[in-house]
Amino acid sequence: MSNQPKILIIDDDPDIVEAMKVVLESKKYQVATAKSGKEGLKKVKQEKPNLIILDVMMETQSKGFDVARAIKGDEDTKNTPILMLTAVKENTGLDFKKEAGDDVWLPVDAYLDKPLKPDELISKVELLLGKS
Amino acid sequence: MESLNSREGLFERIHWLIKLRWIAVVGVFLSVFFAVNVLKIPVPDIPLYTIALILGVYNLASLVHVNRSRANFPALANRIANTQISIDLFILASLVHFSGGIENPFIFYFIFHMIIASILLSRLAAFLQATLSVFLFSIVVASEYLGILPHYCLVGFVSSDLRNNAIHISGIAFVFVSTLYIAVYMATSISKRLREREASLKEVNTQLIQKDRIKSEYVLRVSHDIKEHLAAIQSCIEPVTGGITGQLNERQMNLLERADERAGKLMFFVKALLEVTRIKLSREIRMACFDFGDTLQDAINDVTPKAKNKNISIASSVEGTIHEIRGAREYIHEVITNLLANSIKYTPRNGKISVIVSDKGNSILIEIKDTGIGIPRAELPKVFDEFYRASNAREIEKDGTGLGLSIAKQVVERHNGKIWVESEEGKGTTFFITLPK
Repeated sequence: MSNQPKILIIDDDPDIVEAMKVVLESKKYQVATAKSGKEGLKKVKQEKPNLIILDVMMETQSKGFDVARAIKGDEDTKNTPILMLTAVKENTGLDFKKEAGDDVWLPVDAYLDKPLKPDELISKVELLLGKS
Repeated sequence: MESLNSREGLFERIHWLIKLRWIAVVGVFLSVFFAVNVLKIPVPDIPLYTIALILGVYNLASLVHVNRSRANFPALANRIANTQISIDLFILASLVHFSGGIENPFIFYFIFHMIIASILLSRLAAFLQATLSVFLFSIVVASEYLGILPHYCLVGFVSSDLRNNAIHISGIAFVFVSTLYIAVYMATSISKRLREREASLKEVNTQLIQKDRIKSEYVLRVSHDIKEHLAAIQSCIEPVTGGITGQLNERQMNLLERADERAGKLMFFVKALLEVTRIKLSREIRMACFDFGDTLQDAINDVTPKAKNKNISIASSVEGTIHEIRGAREYIHEVITNLLANSIKYTPRNGKISVIVSDKGNSILIEIKDTGIGIPRAELPKVFDEFYRASNAREIEKDGTGLGLSIAKQVVERHNGKIWVESEEGKGTTFFITLPK
């Protein structure tokens, strides 16, 4: 059994999951995966991860938010940091950032844009694990 | 009244009536002056000048009244138009009386009122106005003929025995009355047809807007799907090119980097397309008060590194009276950033960009001026079209979405503002934006 932190990826896109897994495993993290919100919630209990990476859009447009609220509403899991994968904040220079205050009600600890940049993923993961 | 259903349309038409009345006031003054001083016809000029003066005062009062009752317009408009046309007819009848009655060829000017009534009023109201004209005309003619009212003969213009000639008077009266009714019949028929056409055009336009919406929803769905796949493709390539999965040889690396770059370009395009479609589909954007000067400075700071790379200076000045404006701050920020980024992209090294913001009372005017390559004159009207890129811009930069200015236009128009451009090829371009405060 490795002492490395365990990360649970909840995302219904198997290719994104695989790409993240490769990146995270290269840093020797233990990685568990779930391909739906429902499966994710089950695995949160089973695997007791140190960090959860959660996609916003799965079964529904905002399933990720529901899952995040459920995790933060549970005594056992409420301290587990959540890194949310989102397409809301985009950096084309042509699009528009979300307005200030939008994230107040979202019970997540950090965001990450798709497509994933390996360096950004690792630095966010390290930041959140350092915090926990 | 199908064609008079918009408040602004009604307001405009009543104003048109008032404008025509000013012309009538001047016309009466000049005609009387000409008749008396040049043609030497002995018309009673004092009463005629007085009536013209009354017409002027009445028109001024109408103007004030119409402007004050603008808020209640759709309900009041018909009554205002009806009343004004009736008063006009009384004034015209009194002018006719003092200027020779049936001898005066200006009696046919009643036709103008009939045409105006046919355009502004319902068919029934137009015929009623025609009947009022006939009634007033008959009273003037009959009273003068019977000696109840004095008759002012147009000596030197018509033969004086004509006014006692009952057959002549009846003939003119018949032609006059039939002309009025025929004019109303024809004008109301034409305006009815025009109203029907306007209604059908409106219907077609509504359908087009709906279809455009369906198209936009389709574009949104398709671009979103494409973006999801692209994100997965890029997410899978990056760990490989980053060496996480092991070292690649140079040729493998080169090909993968090419694939990654193309996917990146496509992603940029799809994101811009998503954004322009989202703005188009959103029924409203959230507005709040924000400090315009700060927003402009943020936008300038965002593009300053790019400007420095090409040694381009950016100067800005904001009139002191401009503080907060109402709008969607992020959207305005992005529009200005995009315009500045465009200016930098299409301005040669060592060029200049200036941003001048002036206070225009209820709005602000933003001018973004550069010393860049300019836009060919023939292409200016198209630069805000979706996907359009000026020919010289394409030469400088092959890749570009052609959506930046289209997004800017959508955003500015959503704020009830205006955006336009002036440019001279080889000298530079200035973008102008007005935004309500």
